[in-house]
Amino acid sequence: MQYSFIKPRSKGIISPEFKLLFFFFSITIVMLFSSYAFLKIKILMYDNTMDDLMTKSATLKVNIVSMHEEITYIKLQHRHAEGIYTENTVLKESIHNLFDLVPQKITLSQALLKEDELILYGITPSKEVYEFLLQAPLRSIFHRSYTSYYAMPNGWYSFVSKNYLDRPIQ
Amino acid sequence: MVQFCVKKLFRQAYSVKFHISRQMIYILALAVVFLIIVFIFAFVFLIPAGKEYRISRLETKKFSYQVDLIQNEYDKVYENLKGLQADNRHVISAYKSIFNPQRFIKMYRPHFQSFTLSELSAHSEDGKFSVYEVNTSSLIQSPQGFYDFLDGINKSDNIIGVNFPIDFKREGDLIKSSFTMHVYIGNPGHKISE
Repeated sequence: MQYSFIKPRSKGIISPEFKLLFFFFSITIVMLFSSYAFLKIKILMYDNTMDDLMTKSATLKVNIVSMHEEITYIKLQHRHAEGIYTENTVLKESIHNLFDLVPQKITLSQALLKEDELILYGITPSKEVYEFLLQAPLRSIFHRSYTSYYAMPNGWYSFVSKNYLDRPIQ
Repeated sequence: MVQFCVKKLFRQAYSVKFHISRQMIYILALAVVFLIIVFIFAFVFLIPAGKEYRISRLETKKFSYQVDLIQNEYDKVYENLKGLQADNRHVISAYKSIFNPQRFIKMYRPHFQSFTLSELSAHSEDGKFSVYEVNTSSLIQSPQGFYDFLDGINKSDNIIGVNFPIDFKREGDLIKSSFTMHVYIGNPGHKISE
């Protein structure tokens, strides 16, 4: 026997309105949590990037300091080497000039070069030849010049010439 | 007539009843509670996290710019160093190399009739370079051999300076020369400040 004109419908514990509400609630919760997670992950990534940048910056600074030291050292080496090369060249020129200075008539037996001193030993046909041809140019180079002559059996003279440069007092 | 109509309308209006079911009240209460939770979550977690994110991003950007500047300076200094190293390759290697008397004699023997070196001895140390001394005696036919030697010494494997006193003495047709050389070797551990 039928008591109702409509067909009975099944009635659940949770109504469709509640289901809809829970669906929207869950979407909202997921969105909120995903936004929060996104922000947290991004912050973590930025923190890691910052750590990397700090390490890189510290390494770069240390490297820059060490490279500056190396540059200074290379410049120092360059200056020092240039100084020595120049001294060698000047020495060569000085010796070259000294031997060019000695005329054909005078024969040197020994030349001793010191920092501020030149000592020449040799033989000359006459005192005048030595004085005009060698002593005059030596006097123009050195501040003090002393010569001793020793007569030889053949009429020539053996001489010792000591020449000094006076360094200015500092 | 008009008065009657108005009265009827008011009566009808008062007779309309809003029927709100219990389920509707539950839903509304739940929505309000949820809204409150959302607000609490937003103000307690989400907004501070957003603020922190913004600060982190700005700081990273700022620091990244600074690191870029440091990197540029590094590149500049590195380029400068490489240029200097390339220009002074010979000098740098010369200060590092150890003096080898056999090799030295072999290299410069052609300039002399005979060429001998004494034992290398430590001379002085001025902090930057160690100085070693070696005495040399040689026989040359003409001063040209000595000039060539002085020219060649500037291109040698070491930094070598010829020092006073230099003694030239006639020995028959030859000239006996004796002089001192200083060999300079760099101290790699030494810190330099300009």
